Amino acid sequence: MANWKHRRTAFAAALFAVALVATACRGGGDTGGGGGDGEVATGTGVTAEACPDTPNQDNGCIYLGIISDLTSGPFAALAVPITDAQKAFWERVNEQGGIQAGDQAFDVDVTSYIKDNKYNPEVHRQVYQEIESEVLGLAQTLGSPTTAAIINDLEANNVVSAPASWTSAWDFKDVILESGTNYCFESMNSVDYAVDEFGAESVMAVHYAGDYGEDAAGGAEVAAEAQGLDFTAIETGQGPENQAGAINAITKQKPDLVIVTTGPTDAAAVVGQSAAKGFKGKFIGTSPTWNPALLESPAADAFKALYLQSGPWAPFGADTPGHQAMRDALGDVDPSDGYTAGWAWSYPMKAALETAAENGDLTREGLVEAVKSLTTVDYEGMLPEEAGNFADEPNDAVFRQSVISEVDEDAPTGVSVTKDLYTGPSAEGYEFSEPCF
Amino acid sequence: MKELLSSTLAGLGQGSVYALLALGFVIIYKSMRVISFAQPALMLAGAVLVSYLVGPFGFIIAVILGVVGIALLGLGLERTVIRPMVGKPVFVVAIITLGIDIALRVVINGFIGTDVRQVGDPWGFSRVSLLGVTVQERYIAMFLTTAVVITVLFAFFKYTRLGLATRAASYDQETALAQGISVSTVFAMAWAIAGGLAAIAGTFVATGVGVDQQLWIIALKALPAIILGGLDSLGGAVVGGLTIGVVESLIATYQSDFAPWLGDNFSVVSPYVVMLLVLLVKPYGLFGTKEVERV
Repeated sequence: MANWKHRRTAFAAALFAVALVATACRGGGDTGGGGGDGEVATGTGVTAEACPDTPNQDNGCIYLGIISDLTSGPFAALAVPITDAQKAFWERVNEQGGIQAGDQAFDVDVTSYIKDNKYNPEVHRQVYQEIESEVLGLAQTLGSPTTAAIINDLEANNVVSAPASWTSAWDFKDVILESGTNYCFESMNSVDYAVDEFGAESVMAVHYAGDYGEDAAGGAEVAAEAQGLDFTAIETGQGPENQAGAINAITKQKPDLVIVTTGPTDAAAVVGQSAAKGFKGKFIGTSPTWNPALLESPAADAFKALYLQSGPWAPFGADTPGHQAMRDALGDVDPSDGYTAGWAWSYPMKAALETAAENGDLTREGLVEAVKSLTTVDYEGMLPEEAGNFADEPNDAVFRQSVISEVDEDAPTGVSVTKDLYTGPSAEGYEFSEPCF
Repeated sequence: MKELLSSTLAGLGQGSVYALLALGFVIIYKSMRVISFAQPALMLAGAVLVSYLVGPFGFIIAVILGVVGIALLGLGLERTVIRPMVGKPVFVVAIITLGIDIALRVVINGFIGTDVRQVGDPWGFSRVSLLGVTVQERYIAMFLTTAVVITVLFAFFKYTRLGLATRAASYDQETALAQGISVSTVFAMAWAIAGGLAAIAGTFVATGVGVDQQLWIIALKALPAIILGGLDSLGGAVVGGLTIGVVESLIATYQSDFAPWLGDNFSVVSPYVVMLLVLLVKPYGLFGTKEVERV
């Protein structure tokens, strides 16, 4: 009796370890309006009544949902400012009169249907289903694996959505309004940059499993092949104590360039410990690897010496009308490039809503048609207009430019642009006929 | 050879942290026969508390205050949540500790916020050379601190009345009660010690990289350590923790040379593989008490 009790306890310990990782989720339903009338055709998520708490009581209301990693997931540090920036973006749109449709106008509400996905695909799908029947589209669906969990549903129901992720798969989906280049082209440009600037001859991609890391690793491999460089990919797990394998691979193989696609604490472990072991090569991390708090960590010196950040657009402090409008709208906040991303990602949705309204069709089908007709989007200088091409085939429409920033303690988010938007030869010549992973 | 030594030392450092966590699990298990799944939350709470105290008080004082604070937290949890469950099936109590863990982490996450907090340790990623072998200072600090803590703890159990009471209660609660031992004091003390140990472990885990909301997951590595060492053996927890740390470190260093076919991150799962192998040969762990079985 005691024997199996003892064994049972041991077994239960192992079992609970698994159970602990999959903690419960917070639900909660909301209700809201639907239907509408007037000259403009409207449907789900668009009402003739004004939005709650809007000064424009004569305007109708377009409801957009937000599904983000707001509390406990690995990207919460970015997701919260992304969401705040989007609220500010749409508030500005509303202050400027909203979306004009003939003699009617509509405000955009992104605050009534905000849900937390905890960066968990199952939770993402669940909360999506809670709000799907209440919204016209999604102003944000954060994460690649999470959005992948609802992509079939988005397509089936014509729910146009702005992603908060940069995987190359989105270029092949009509309902996804991606902005800026994807991880794949970004990494190609990073490799090309390292070849030009440091004469890199070998590249290693240290990456998470899944679309985020593998998309970047795929791009790095494409560029390494195009440039005739040695290439190795090291997949790594989440958690700083799980980076030992990657750190060993880096310090043993001593590549000239390491492309990092992890979260910030894991990047701190990889960059900090590799440098402490005497590694002298360069790291280029995609934007989610960076957090200004890293400059206060013990890895700060290593980051200053060895690290560059690639990104789809210039960081928070950049000097474009779009960046300026964002800073004005946000007021006094702790700078974060989550804000920059949330703001930039909202422009195509605005353009699509305006086009659909001009066409007199603010239904879901009308919005998808509007997206398919967009060849340019006005990003107020944050990106060139041609970055907003959703009409052509992916190989022609995809935006291939990215920026490289260096660590700069005086910049608001700790990085400033060292090479502005550019396309390297590898990205230029790549035939983009399918996602990179 | 140098690489082997340096990797072993790093493993011993990391293993010390697992050992501290494992000791917390074992101390509670020995006194109550319950595996407390609240350890990850207590560890996270310790690291976060230190990250707040380090500014005004400096690192050493912050750690001491952190240990005291989390010990009191452990004590408070035992008094308020666990105490009413005395006499109930241990499985129920284990599930309650799971609930404590989740609830506590939600509160702590509020204090972490979305950024990475720093514990302000003096070591960072600095390295020293010991007889030609380079090793990170923080690993040496982890190992030495753990050695001191464990010595004090073992002396406590061996030489103090309360320590003796704990051992007596862990053998047989009813007999201990009959001898006038306050089993409830023993329970409360077990939770306080486990909390204090978790706070030290959390602080060390956060050295170098900082505290974020995901830090607690590391505490689960103590589970293979306690199963390896035996659920009710303090010495086993130490040996188990150190073994897991060294195995993980050596595999991370050498597996890509000797067994690349195992994939890039075999070291991450290696503690669990070791745990399974040990369970196959010694179901009670290396040092666990064998139960006499009669039909």
